Amino acid sequence: MAEVVLTGIRKSFGAVDVIKGIDLTIKDGEFCVFVGPSGCGKSTLLRIIAGLEVATGGTLHIDGKEVSKAEPSERGIAMVFQSYALYPHLTVRQNIGFGLSLAKMPKDEIARIVEATAATLQLEKLLDRKPKELSGGQRQRVAIGRAIVRNPKVFLFDEPLSNLDASLRSQMRIEITELHAKLATTMIYVTHDQVEAMTMADKIVVLNGGTIEQVGSPMELYNAPATPFVAGFIGGPKMNLFEGKLAEEMRCRTYGIRPEHVLLGAEGRWQGRVKHVEHLGADAIVHLDVAGLGALIARISGDTGLRPGDDVRASPQPGKEFRY
Amino acid sequence: MRCPVQRSPYPYWFVLPAAVVFVTLFLVPTVASLWFSLTRWDLYTASYIGLDNFRQFFSEQNLTLGLMNTVIYAVLTSATKTVFGLLLAVLLTSGIWGQSFLRTVVFFPVLVSTIGVGITFTVLMHPTKGLFNVGLAAIGLHGPGWLTDASLALYSVALVDLWKGVGLATLIYIAGLAAISPDYYEAARIDGATRVQQFWRVTVPLVQPATVTVITLSLIGGLRSFDLIWAMTKGGPGFSSDVLASVIYKQYQAGFYGLSTAGNVILFVLIATIILPLTWWFNRKEVDL
Amino acid sequence: MTRRQYWTGIIATVVALVIFVVPFVFIAFTAVKDKAQASHLDFTWPLQFLFWQNLVDVVTTRNYMLLLAYFNSSIITVGAVAMLILFGAMVGYVLQRRQSRWNQVIFGCVLAGLIIPPAVVPTIWVMQGLGLFKTIWGMVLIQVAYGLAFSVLLYRSFIATIPRDLDEAARIDGAKPLQIFLRVILPLLKPVTVTLIVVQSIAIFNDFTNPLYYLPGKENVTVQLTLFNFQSQFSTQFNLLFMNILLVTIPPLIVFIFFNRQIVAGMTAGAVKG
Repeated sequence: MAEVVLTGIRKSFGAVDVIKGIDLTIKDGEFCVFVGPSGCGKSTLLRIIAGLEVATGGTLHIDGKEVSKAEPSERGIAMVFQSYALYPHLTVRQNIGFGLSLAKMPKDEIARIVEATAATLQLEKLLDRKPKELSGGQRQRVAIGRAIVRNPKVFLFDEPLSNLDASLRSQMRIEITELHAKLATTMIYVTHDQVEAMTMADKIVVLNGGTIEQVGSPMELYNAPATPFVAGFIGGPKMNLFEGKLAEEMRCRTYGIRPEHVLLGAEGRWQGRVKHVEHLGADAIVHLDVAGLGALIARISGDTGLRPGDDVRASPQPGKEFRY
Repeated sequence: MRCPVQRSPYPYWFVLPAAVVFVTLFLVPTVASLWFSLTRWDLYTASYIGLDNFRQFFSEQNLTLGLMNTVIYAVLTSATKTVFGLLLAVLLTSGIWGQSFLRTVVFFPVLVSTIGVGITFTVLMHPTKGLFNVGLAAIGLHGPGWLTDASLALYSVALVDLWKGVGLATLIYIAGLAAISPDYYEAARIDGATRVQQFWRVTVPLVQPATVTVITLSLIGGLRSFDLIWAMTKGGPGFSSDVLASVIYKQYQAGFYGLSTAGNVILFVLIATIILPLTWWFNRKEVDL
Repeated sequence: MTRRQYWTGIIATVVALVIFVVPFVFIAFTAVKDKAQASHLDFTWPLQFLFWQNLVDVVTTRNYMLLLAYFNSSIITVGAVAMLILFGAMVGYVLQRRQSRWNQVIFGCVLAGLIIPPAVVPTIWVMQGLGLFKTIWGMVLIQVAYGLAFSVLLYRSFIATIPRDLDEAARIDGAKPLQIFLRVILPLLKPVTVTLIVVQSIAIFNDFTNPLYYLPGKENVTVQLTLFNFQSQFSTQFNLLFMNILLVTIPPLIVFIFFNRQIVAGMTAGAVKG
């Protein structure tokens, strides 16, 4: 149960500035997702909060206490790594209980806590196995179990689902969301996948080039992206963004319209030709070549009869256009 | 609120125990040898005599002979181990009958006591009763005095060194050959290369990292070698099979500590002047590949 | 297997038996012969098998000197290998994990240790100053100093394969640096540790030159020194000399049978460039 406050956090490796001054408050009990392309500094920022990297400048408070230079173990955090980082030579039981045994907790108490944790994660039958005998999803649960027994004020997740296949990933998304609902602890979650960000977060922090682009709830970011970068990053398929002539006509530098807000029909502002249609079932993604504009993507109902080569007119849905 | 400062999880004191032992028993003596080689020294008092020890080393015939022998011995053992090591490795990776048994047999001498090997071969090379010459006599040849002939003794010891050490070269080459993708051989066969062409055009160039290791290791070993020579000839007959390492020991036994240390410095310089340019050259070649 | 592979194998085996196996059979034969037959130095079937008697004779020579030698050699080997494992792993760990300009210095020392021949007389001078000359513990430390470079190199390249996430997970779990090393890293180094134990024990057990210089004196004899000294003592009793060689050859043979794989791994590790 804790608030995390970052003030003017900077980090440079030699001459390279990776984090360029970040101010952020993550409220108690919030599920906060750091999202951004690779190299945007999201993992470094998480590692600074964890204490695995020491910030070059700025301060960090967890639960009202300054911990900018404290040891990772003294910050009241627990972390789930992308690789899970389970100790290969220890059993599941020993992995989960490792931190407790370091803290010199009596053996029977460790056993009790480990078994209770294992029960909540359905790991009871696996307690005496080694990590290499577990499936990806089971390893993930053990890593979460190891985090839970620390009874942390803040959970940190570093791209925890990126090593799982698609179906397991959506299942684990739900499990982690449920875990958050049950524990009501502050959680900070790093991912490059905007779907994970949208589906799990209370608050999304979009990072780019070591600075924050925008902070907000998923729907805020979707409905009112503050910058073209956020506009292009949140939502799928990517928003259509245009610079140059069209933007000038619209009296802005960048003009954007989401694919789901492009209307196709006999009438419309733009004359286009269908290049390719991706049928997703309920929806279809139509790739158009628009004269004087270039490529345009539209998302329409799946029962469309459009075929490559068809001529069609397209127009933006009023009120859904973005101008920057 | 108190803010404790984070320390590295990889503290330098981890290096300390090793550093203490290494510095006192290896680095300090090595550096001290540079000074003591310039002195007349009885372990208690050392009097500076400039380069006299080195002058003596290069003027006394038996000492310069030792220097010559060291180079001959090292180059000879290194070259033969490299050639035979590669040939044996190719043979022992070609899927022949009894391959794993042969690997074991060739490698085992590496693990055996050098002194034991030395004594055994001294007996086998006995001029009249030894198995070498008895065997040669059986096919009508008159065998030489392997260790008693002054012009032959050094080469006989080098032969035993090859016997004992070729297994290690073979093993390193086997590992090197295993790292070459079979695709290259298949491509070469499709291009119509014969076995001999495959060996020269594919195996030899691609196994080069192993060659570098074998040459470097066996050269360093050869230049420093002492125990086999000491067990077999003690540098004899006369001084004919003396090498730097045995000269160093003899001068030490005789109480010429300054001279012995000068021998050490010369050995060090010799190794450095051979190994460093060689490593540099190998590294450059590797970049070219 | 083709005919060609089959026949090449047969020929190679016969040649290998003559070149590599005959000397060992010769050792075994001579070791069990009686004194008279052994003095012929020939490669013949033993007329009598005096294994036990020759064994007893060798062991009891010079007031059970060989037993003392085995005892000393064992202490030196066990002590030195234990320290080489622990110290080598600690240096390799810091060297691999922590990037700084000190690394250059440490790496330079490792290369120096691999290449530079030890300066023997100055070493004796240092050891005398420290009271380590002619002592078993002095010998142990010498073997540690000379073997460290190889251990560090081997450990460093192995530790590079252990993900740093494990260290970090342990830090978050509250492990102190020494606890991370002892409870997480060291257990994971087991394969390379086994290799090092085997390879270094054989090297140290077989070492002759260093005990010759640094461990003179009757009460400090090692196995190799005893063998060397028996060469003159037994100049007329070749059966006993070869029984001694046989006894010295057996420990590495046993180790080789059990740890073949690890020895091969350790020896070829030199091929992987540092």
